[in-house]
Amino acid sequence: MKTRVRLIALLCAALAVPAAVTAQDRPRYGGVLNWFDYGDPGRLDVHAESPLVVQQATAGVYSGLLHWDPDDPSKIAGDLAERWTVSPDGKTYTFHLRKNVKWHDGQSFSSADVKASFDRLLNPEFKSPKCGAALKPLVASVEAVDASTVQFTLKAPVSYFPGAIASAWCRVAAKHILEKYGDLNRPEAQVGTGPFKFKKYDRGSVIEWEKTKDYFIPGLPYLDGVKQYILVGGPTQVAAAKAGRIMLWDAWPPMRKTQADEVKTARGDEVDIYRWPINTIFLLYMNSKRAPFDNPDMRRAVFLAIDRQELITKALEGAGVPCAILDPKLVGEFALPLEEVAKTPGCRQAKDTDLAEAEKLVKKHHPNGIDIEIAVRQVGNYVDRAQLVIAQLRKIGIRGTLKTHESAAGYASFGKGDFQMIATQDRAMDGIDPGDVFHVVYHTNAGSNYAQLSDPKADDLIDRAAKETNKNKRTQLYHELQRYILTSGTTGAVPVGWVEGFFFRDKKVRGYKPALTTYDGNTFMKTWLAP
Amino acid sequence: MDEAGALARFAQRQPLGTAGAVIVVVLVGVAVFAPQLAPHGPKETGFAPYLPPSAQFPMGTDQIGRDVLSRVVWGARLSLYVGLTSVLIGVTLGALWGVVTAYVGGAPDSGSQRVVDSLMALPPIILALALMAALGQSVNNVVLALLLLLVPTAARTVRSVALSVKEFPFVEAALAAGCSHTRVIVRHILPNCLATYIVLVTTNVSYAIVVEASLSFIGAGAPPDEPSWGGMLTAGTQAIENAPWLVLFPGVAISLAVFGLNLLGDAIRDLADPRLRGGLG
Repeated sequence: MKTRVRLIALLCAALAVPAAVTAQDRPRYGGVLNWFDYGDPGRLDVHAESPLVVQQATAGVYSGLLHWDPDDPSKIAGDLAERWTVSPDGKTYTFHLRKNVKWHDGQSFSSADVKASFDRLLNPEFKSPKCGAALKPLVASVEAVDASTVQFTLKAPVSYFPGAIASAWCRVAAKHILEKYGDLNRPEAQVGTGPFKFKKYDRGSVIEWEKTKDYFIPGLPYLDGVKQYILVGGPTQVAAAKAGRIMLWDAWPPMRKTQADEVKTARGDEVDIYRWPINTIFLLYMNSKRAPFDNPDMRRAVFLAIDRQELITKALEGAGVPCAILDPKLVGEFALPLEEVAKTPGCRQAKDTDLAEAEKLVKKHHPNGIDIEIAVRQVGNYVDRAQLVIAQLRKIGIRGTLKTHESAAGYASFGKGDFQMIATQDRAMDGIDPGDVFHVVYHTNAGSNYAQLSDPKADDLIDRAAKETNKNKRTQLYHELQRYILTSGTTGAVPVGWVEGFFFRDKKVRGYKPALTTYDGNTFMKTWLAP
Repeated sequence: MDEAGALARFAQRQPLGTAGAVIVVVLVGVAVFAPQLAPHGPKETGFAPYLPPSAQFPMGTDQIGRDVLSRVVWGARLSLYVGLTSVLIGVTLGALWGVVTAYVGGAPDSGSQRVVDSLMALPPIILALALMAALGQSVNNVVLALLLLLVPTAARTVRSVALSVKEFPFVEAALAAGCSHTRVIVRHILPNCLATYIVLVTTNVSYAIVVEASLSFIGAGAPPDEPSWGGMLTAGTQAIENAPWLVLFPGVAISLAVFGLNLLGDAIRDLADPRLRGGLG
């Protein structure tokens, strides 16, 4: 009898466990996800701006033609485009759009909206540091074939075009809204087709989205809304994480190990903490249009003097890949082997030879050393990084004075070229193609070419590699390009290293997968909250 | 011998003031001899970060591997520089403003007092913040911002004393004897406002140090790489649980400096006030 009771009890338990797992894993409707932005976006035009906070503020509001699949972040999937085809010559992409999609103000979506958005992004007069900068070199024209078909004609067949168009910055805006407001800066202009409507923006405080009831994917989203608290500075962000005020820390800036340990101690088993590369490069910029860095010798001196290993060890607590322009972990064999990178000027240890050469170069032009202003945005731990840079440059006779900027003001100043040196600036990649970093930073027309450097040889290699369809030849071109930048040492953008760090997810947050770039995965269309 | 006796009497009558004086003397000594006392440069980053206090680093190292002791020592120099420079210039300018307008009287005095009113109506830290935002971050700009806070207060206080001094018969006598207005102000009114001036200076140095630390704490004071106690506190808050020494030592330094200066200032004020003088000892 006892055995039978035990067996029944075991059977009940065996049945109950899967039943419980199923119930726990079945998406639930309702709840508000509390998230955060590292700064106040100010302007909200996702086509015209480049700070992550602008993209975060509007991510769930808009849709793209394509996007990185929330279920499998390494794959490209249709978003507003149901499907797409490529012509045999690889130059024409035809996107077939979903039907019966509505804008959040009730108007119908059509191919005219897609054309208006991409004509705006591709307009040579329109400054679009992200999507526009990526697409302008690739796209010749955009045509609306009919109300639900759009055709992109490329200047040349480019293998990474679908990845570029899937960028979280290439969002489709409503034609009637662009005509009404002229831009997308105002909160009232945030009318999209995404899973959430833009509800509220209290400057410096909070951004709120609310669920779109007639989202084009039936049954989504699960959440009632998303609240993004604007939390400036590491201590505030960590305090909010420890107090449970935010439920997800998935975007830049990553936590350092010590911060992650604090959160783990405070939240215990309520959170999952994970280390993740966020496809972001840590750079130091020199303005090639202003003295003293209009002189290649001075740029080389800085290139040689910067101790990348010390910066990664101290500023990122070791969570990063020093010196590399491409991280093998992210792009595989397209990256130069790290052993080779470690032997290049500026990266090689010990630093004595490089420091001696750097000091000689500075003395050649400035026998008594030189005073410069070193700019930095007051976000993340940039100020700490900048102090390390100042200490390193002092060794070669460059005396830096720190000038700090509020986040948006800093971007404005950098965009205008109003600086001598930017001590540190992380640049997140828009996609996962090895060419991204070159199109974002090193090409003359790159959206984040703050150094304003134009190097015909680098441009030629970047363009050739982008168009190359043979993987081996493309790899060789990227290797040549990396060797060229790393050995010439006169670039205006010193690659300090690739950033990694720690993130957390409250265990109640389900249906969320970390994306391969910091810009993706932020629509929360499939995210839900467990009880 | 007389000086030693006077000091002994001061110590007996003002034990707290004496303690304050000792702290201030130590503070000044640390500031003056910072290059000799600090084991490392205040901006030298050659050490491992977050090292706890040890024999090698008695106050540990900070988040980018700088010796905290060296920065605290150099921080004394920066705090005293900001405190003394702003207070000496600010209180002197304010005192001159107060004395001159009190002596002149009438519409100029009334007009200038409205300017003082409008400056004093603004919350000090907001005014300083606005100035720093406009001028940019630098140690000398902190001094400038403090000047704007200190001048109106000093002008208002010294004017009130000068108003009563100018009514004294010796002023009338000096004018009757043919003294010029400048001579009357310089030789007769200013010296009689000196006690108030000294009290203002001693009590405001600690105020200036606290304002500088507050501005630096909120990122609007001295540039972050300067060894400012307030700036060190800000950086320390990022790791307060894992590296509490980063806030402990600059915090203690600010507290001690302000405590010492306040004790000394109070004692000097008591000595300068005839109403309190008899009640002491």
